[in-house]
Amino acid sequence: MNRINPLYIGLLLVVVLLISVVQLNSSKGKLQEAKLSYKNISKLADNLVSLKKAYANKTKMEKSLRSLLRNKSLQASKMKATFKKSSVKLSSKSIDKNALNYLMGKLVNGSYHISSFEIKKLSEEKASFKMEIKW
Amino acid sequence: MKFKQDKKTVFLDPHTQLTLSDEKLDIILSPSLYWVKKVSLPLKHARDAKKLLVSLFEDLLPEGSYSYSVYKQGEQFMIFAYEDKNILELLASQGILLSNVSSIHFAQSELDTIKGAIKINDTQSIYVKEGIVTLVPCCWIEESGDLDIADIKLSKHTLTLQQFGHIVDNKSLISIGVILSVFILLTWIELFILNKHIQTIEQESAEVFSKYHLKPTMFQNKALLKKYTKIHTNQTKMREEFSKALKIKDIKKISYKENRLKVSS
Repeated sequence: MNRINPLYIGLLLVVVLLISVVQLNSSKGKLQEAKLSYKNISKLADNLVSLKKAYANKTKMEKSLRSLLRNKSLQASKMKATFKKSSVKLSSKSIDKNALNYLMGKLVNGSYHISSFEIKKLSEEKASFKMEIKW
Repeated sequence: MKFKQDKKTVFLDPHTQLTLSDEKLDIILSPSLYWVKKVSLPLKHARDAKKLLVSLFEDLLPEGSYSYSVYKQGEQFMIFAYEDKNILELLASQGILLSNVSSIHFAQSELDTIKGAIKINDTQSIYVKEGIVTLVPCCWIEESGDLDIADIKLSKHTLTLQQFGHIVDNKSLISIGVILSVFILLTWIELFILNKHIQTIEQESAEVFSKYHLKPTMFQNKALLKKYTKIHTNQTKMREEFSKALKIKDIKKISYKENRLKVSS
């Protein structure tokens, strides 16, 4: 007669089912969190990569700047470029109007991190030019 | 140290009050607690006869919730019907705990070899008639011996009481158990799939870190993003202001420092 009461087995099954359902709900919550976290990481990664590509790509910036400064229209302005580890300083004591237009057009329309610049009018055709670009 | 617990055999009858201490009991049921029939069936084993028990007692039993039992005796089958609820109530009224009940037997299987009549209470005796242990009033039999069951060697024919058989039958209990088990199984399967899904997403998140060469922590990455977003905002603003400033006539000096554009004309 020392049989296990069937009701105890039923109760045990109900308890196991309840625990399983609670565990299931907890896992559903974890899944939502994991999905949200993945979405956030992906979005952050996309934004960060595109911004770094635009403002922190030293090799690409240095290469394009050197190419730009070799342009014929800037030869007469005797542009001085000092490349450092995290920046470059450009300066010209006298640059003509057309060369300045060309240079500023390229720099402002490109994705350079221009930290400072100064353009001072010397005459109707000439100006002095200073600029620092960071990466 | 006690290795073997002594057991006492008692005869359970509705008209006899037992005096018991807290001990293990083998119980013999009085014929008044069950219905019995001796039948010949074209079957080999008692287990095959179990399916037929309900129909064999059909129309014989008063209304109630019965359990059935069978064993083979020679070429014939001894079939029994009994109400668990009645026996359980009687055990309770006698102060017998189920945990103390070691086994329950029918008087038919244990006392079918008695000689003559044996008095079981003040008004009733049992005697064997055509192989059936029968209950009769005392006055029918003139000479009745007393019941001595202390030395009886009990058979293997026992019954198990269904404690809740009168509330829910076994089939319903099994059905409920199966349904619950199926739900548990389905829940576990879903849980397994969910956990696999979580693992996959976590792995993909880790792959994003290595693919985009991100810093190890989200804190560092967020700080970097904030820094570059600020640079982007300032650079965009500077370009917009510079574009507007170029429309001013006769500019003498234009400068930009610490995120501020100055125009002198």
